[in-house]
Amino acid sequence: MTIMNRKDGKVNTMKNKKIYDSPFAVILCNLILFLLVYFVVMSDYAVSLAIIAVVIVAVLLVNRFDLINKIFDLYIRHKKTALISGLILGIIYPFSLADNVYVAHIATLAVIYGIACLGLNFQMGSTDMTNFAPAAFMGIGAYSVAIASVKMGLSPWIGMLAGLVLSGVFGFLIGLPTLKTKGYYLSLVTMAIQLAFTELVRIWPFVGGDDGLSGVERYKLFGFELYKRYTIFGIRMSPQIPYLLLCIVFLVLCTYIAMRVYFSRTGIAMNTVAQDEIAANCMGINVSRTKLFAFVIGGIYCGLAGTLFAGLEGYAGPATYNFQKSLMLICMVILGGMDNSIGVVVGAFILAIITEKLRDFADFQQLIYGAVLVIMLIVRPDGIIPWRVRNHDLITKRTPNIAEKAQLKSEV
Amino acid sequence: MSKTDLLLESNGLYTSYGRIPMLMDVSFRLREGEICAILGANGAGKTTLVKAILGMVKADKGTMTFEGEDITTMPTHKRVAKGIQVVSAETGTFPKMTVEKNLRLGAYNITDQKLLEERCEEAYESFPVLKERLHQKAGTLSGGERTMLAIARACINKPDLLIMDEPSLGLAPIVVDEVFRIVRKLNRENDMSIMLVEQNVVKSLGVSDYGYIIQKGQIIFEGNPDQINESGILDNPVMS
Repeated sequence: MTIMNRKDGKVNTMKNKKIYDSPFAVILCNLILFLLVYFVVMSDYAVSLAIIAVVIVAVLLVNRFDLINKIFDLYIRHKKTALISGLILGIIYPFSLADNVYVAHIATLAVIYGIACLGLNFQMGSTDMTNFAPAAFMGIGAYSVAIASVKMGLSPWIGMLAGLVLSGVFGFLIGLPTLKTKGYYLSLVTMAIQLAFTELVRIWPFVGGDDGLSGVERYKLFGFELYKRYTIFGIRMSPQIPYLLLCIVFLVLCTYIAMRVYFSRTGIAMNTVAQDEIAANCMGINVSRTKLFAFVIGGIYCGLAGTLFAGLEGYAGPATYNFQKSLMLICMVILGGMDNSIGVVVGAFILAIITEKLRDFADFQQLIYGAVLVIMLIVRPDGIIPWRVRNHDLITKRTPNIAEKAQLKSEV
Repeated sequence: MSKTDLLLESNGLYTSYGRIPMLMDVSFRLREGEICAILGANGAGKTTLVKAILGMVKADKGTMTFEGEDITTMPTHKRVAKGIQVVSAETGTFPKMTVEKNLRLGAYNITDQKLLEERCEEAYESFPVLKERLHQKAGTLSGGERTMLAIARACINKPDLLIMDEPSLGLAPIVVDEVFRIVRKLNRENDMSIMLVEQNVVKSLGVSDYGYIIQKGQIIFEGNPDQINESGILDNPVMS
């Protein structure tokens, strides 16, 4: 049904140029996405997997007409409409899940992974430095919250602030050796850091060792508990709903910042470093600073995801932030599409939902998970929504003049 | 731009890759407004010299002065900001970006939008080949077009010193002629000082004002093109 919607929208937009280039189209797109996410999350595993598969195939087929890029241009042109309608739908979304505790949990997880993937994308996608330690950054955030609330009795918000600062500092410290290493060696360094982190928290009694720290205080906003069952219009909501709302607000904010960074001078500098470090240096770009920036901002994003994760589970333990979690985050970024903020969030949603929906088949979970990746990498190695060719017009918001438009059309 | 006569000067420069010495006691002078050729066979240390000037290889000993300022320990991006630009086979174009984006990246240090637009227009005028391909990915250009793009990108900054590291490498003879024509034009019409690092001895001496011959990491001869031709040093089979 949702697919039909999508096609209707397309025909509509093709027929009428004005509708195609109007805020209405943006809202329509957002609505379709909203319905898709809703149905995927709400239905049971078979239906939801089928929807995911059909949508991916449909997107790949439709993309022969360069539709994804066109939609992107549309969103960028009507930034405000996209943002506002997205926020409104994002706020409605948690309430549509009502009392389904399990689904609400999955949805919150997906959103948190989305934030972490945005952070990882700065390193993996934009700057082409494969960081195998995003889970360690998440762990730092989570443990900060846990230590602040369990050991010191402070508010988890203070823990979150400390977590953000700490993960930023940690990102800077990891970033320093990466200035000397490249490619595989860099990956090995980060891998070692991830393993060291897991071991460290496992053997350190202060942070609970193998058992981790449980009983993390839930976030509260002005005395309003964010993890509690509320009754709205006579419907008893699952406890995660207000928390999901908070996470969505963070995700939208993070995506917005990530987009701003992508279109900024630093974003361009990160891309040039990814493509040719020496050439970037010869353009007058400070390569070391750019790399460190990618590590610090990526670390802060992952740290934020970790602090939210600890708030959701009420627990921080070594098993949650191990190497496997890092690999999962990397897979999400690869699947969604590197160097594309929207793409990585889509990838995070898809993999998080698949993983959770397949909980019942624990034996086959890894197998299907791997199969999805292999198929995707063969069919579409750049990910579902891949990076875009850097074009100048979109960045300076200069509208192309008539001659250039004609030229563009003839090229298409 | 300060009007010192000497633009770039190096005194007793030594560099090495690990334990292997690459440049030994290299001293040279580049005067403002001239084309200076650095000639040598493969492995003579030409590219290392370029890297040393750009600061990608650290100098073990010796000094380097640019526009009267000591730049021996300055990081690369600051040297570029001071007005050194390089065109080379190694520092290629960014294949995954459009030609226009590539061009504008060359002017990363220019923050004045109006000035940038002017410079871009100038670049399109001088290199009409590029204007037809502005929205194409740089990776899809031919070798000659890519060299043109690299030159245009370097010139967009109006550098005080343009270093060309083997611009004719891997190009068709007719394109090589075009490249040397552009080199001469940039020097004559735009008053740009150019350091031409080349293997193509005959063509390079044809356009340059002064030349250095480098062999095994040392400068073995210097002089103007006539002196170099007369000296017979190029008759050495290793050099030709």
